[in-house]
Amino acid sequence: MIEVKDVVKQLPNGKQLLKGITFQAKKGDFIGILGPSGAGKTVTMRCLNGLTQPTSGHIYLRSNGKTNDLTCCKGKALRELRQKIGIVFQGFNLVKRLSVIENVMIGRLGQINPLRSLTYGFTNAEAEEALHALEKVKIGHLAYRKVASLSGGEQQRVAIARAIFQKPYMLLADEPIANLDPSNAKKIMKLLKPLAKDMPIIGVFHQPEIAAKYCNRIIAIKEGKVVYDGDTNLSEDLLVEIYGEELQQIEETSTSQEQLVYS
Amino acid sequence: MKHQKRLTFRNLIVFTIFILLFIGSAKLCRVNLGILSSGFFDGLGFLTEMFPPDLSALPEMIYPAFETILIAILATIFGAMLSFLFALAGAANLSPVWLKTVSRFAMAVERALPEIVIILLLVAALGLGPFPGVVALAIGCLGMLGRLYADAIEEVNPKTIEAVASVGANKLQLIQYVIIPEVLPSVISNTLFRLEINIRLSVLLGAVGAGGIGYEIFYSFQLLEYERASTAILVVLALVFMSERLSDFLRKKIALDGKIK
Amino acid sequence: MTELSLQKNKLPSEKFKRRITFFSVSSFVIVAIAIQLDFNPVLFFTEGHHLVNLLGEMLPPNMEVLWEKTNVFTSIMETLAMAFMGTVIGGAGALVLAFMAAKNTSPSPLIRSVFRLLMSIERVLPRLVMILIFVIALGLGPFAGMITLCVSTLGMFGKLFADAIEEVETDPVEAVYAIGANKLQAIKYSIIPQVIPSFIANLFYAFDVNLRAAIGLGIFGGGGIGFEIHMAMKMLRYSDALALILFTILLITVFEKISDVLRARILREETLS
Repeated sequence: MIEVKDVVKQLPNGKQLLKGITFQAKKGDFIGILGPSGAGKTVTMRCLNGLTQPTSGHIYLRSNGKTNDLTCCKGKALRELRQKIGIVFQGFNLVKRLSVIENVMIGRLGQINPLRSLTYGFTNAEAEEALHALEKVKIGHLAYRKVASLSGGEQQRVAIARAIFQKPYMLLADEPIANLDPSNAKKIMKLLKPLAKDMPIIGVFHQPEIAAKYCNRIIAIKEGKVVYDGDTNLSEDLLVEIYGEELQQIEETSTSQEQLVYS
Repeated sequence: MKHQKRLTFRNLIVFTIFILLFIGSAKLCRVNLGILSSGFFDGLGFLTEMFPPDLSALPEMIYPAFETILIAILATIFGAMLSFLFALAGAANLSPVWLKTVSRFAMAVERALPEIVIILLLVAALGLGPFPGVVALAIGCLGMLGRLYADAIEEVNPKTIEAVASVGANKLQLIQYVIIPEVLPSVISNTLFRLEINIRLSVLLGAVGAGGIGYEIFYSFQLLEYERASTAILVVLALVFMSERLSDFLRKKIALDGKIK
Repeated sequence: MTELSLQKNKLPSEKFKRRITFFSVSSFVIVAIAIQLDFNPVLFFTEGHHLVNLLGEMLPPNMEVLWEKTNVFTSIMETLAMAFMGTVIGGAGALVLAFMAAKNTSPSPLIRSVFRLLMSIERVLPRLVMILIFVIALGLGPFAGMITLCVSTLGMFGKLFADAIEEVETDPVEAVYAIGANKLQAIKYSIIPQVIPSFIANLFYAFDVNLRAAIGLGIFGGGGIGFEIHMAMKMLRYSDALALILFTILLITVFEKISDVLRARILREETLS
């Protein structure tokens, strides 16, 4: 279970990006974070991932009776916690020149003995598990292809396989479908949804319709604060309240995508 | 109109400066057209002394040629390894600022040092032979390879590095699993290019005492055995030509493959 | 879904075995070469004190040698002059050669083959050989060095320029021919403007190369700073030598910077005019 408590992120020049984010997530949650650009969605993601340290507030990771505070750690301790947080990115961010299966195994780099990773590398047992992870995302047959030769949708699946190979406490997704065409976007969302059974999934999306369709909970962030935390029935008025003027832009770009998604 | 006038005036000044530099340099070089014309014929006459090449000396040249190539290969291997270490230290995305500045500075200084000066120093300290030759050439790689490697490392997609750091990988793992795979093609390509350069340099350094075929050429000239020298020269030409072909072929293969093995 | 299994030869354990083999073989080769060349790294430690001694004798560098002896100053000027002349004359010659050797500007295929051959010979001939010959023909001193640089620049850059000329965009050239121009006019109005930027960039690069080469040539009798450094070391005037070496580094770095600035300015003006 993840508890985000009063997270504030302030820049050195005084500007407050996050003004006190609070929410909780547990197994089974597939949360979609929405909000206008600049609201603080990506900053929240980076705090959850340990890439950025909040200026104040706490992020608790509770599992098996133990509680860890992400915000209090640095260096080695931080790396240990990050091992258990999976994240997929908009740009996939895989090592293009390595094979698919090697990219998946990289997911556990933080968890294996550094000396071993330097010399022997991964074990055969780990390779088998990586293959299972790939089969789970339905690209087992691509295991030995080089990532550079894969399409966008396939690469994102590799990224998801890498994340689940980590056996993480939670899975983060920073605009995972933004670089994908509508049919691949749909496939990826369909892939993510059942994974929520094992761990909370928190994703940032810039298209409210998609989030509403596949997620089971919506959190809206506006100007650094949580303005909505509830189910996915988003009324028109709510959307206007969240997005303001941007709503029209989003609606215009989303119409064709929406049609494909719903068809 | 005014713009054109200024341009022409400026051009005139630049032109004059250029002419002055030209004449000044010619004087400094003690350009003597008289010697050039007489020297030209002397030179031609001299060239006849170099022909025909004394092919009976060819078997003696084989080992020195081999030695020259070995020196270049060993030096390139060591030089590449050394340069990679400097490059890791000199990459902004891996290294703290102070270390990066020091490393980049060291590489820039080395780049300004001609290899021949390096070997003069090493020969003074360590004596003649291939040993100082290998060391001089290996250090000589730093300026060029070090910088090329460091630039390649800096060009690795930062988001990929971030992503792997997100799973909890430490610096060494990042280097092994992200940096090295991504920069390998350009590293190999540049190293092959440097090998070509090092073969030519190995010939030159040989004359200063590193041995090999460069020394044969120099020595033959000293002994006034010009036919022998021209045999050695032909061997060098063959060497350089072949190494160039091989290097071009390998580099094209790498560019096409995108990956080795 | 059929159960996919791992490819045998791609198993991590197999990969590890192959990696070990690769490293073993390479290490063996390296050690073999080292032994053949009497390259003994232990020498670093046993003979290393020689290096330290040398360093001790070289420091502190006798910087006064730079202005005390006037012939040192002359040598510095000589080296610069050699590089300059070599670049200018060699570059001009290379340009002529290049036009003769390029497919689209050569007067005849026969001339083209001849010039290509000339250039490839000059390119492969080591400067070492050239300086030795020219010293015999023209005597010791910067003149021989300068001629060596001219000839080697010819070879090196002749090919570069010829390739650049051949890689010119054909559309503008065809356009000029289409309006009735003859070959010379086509060259002047469509080919030359396209190659000027790369020509200028290469010229500056040539100067850098020639400056370093000039120093090396000095050791074989070409005059200039290289000669001074060699003399200083031969006569055991090590602190003088260090001073000269440090100055050489400074010289090369300074001229590199100047080249960068000048080249940027000239290229900018070319694109503007």
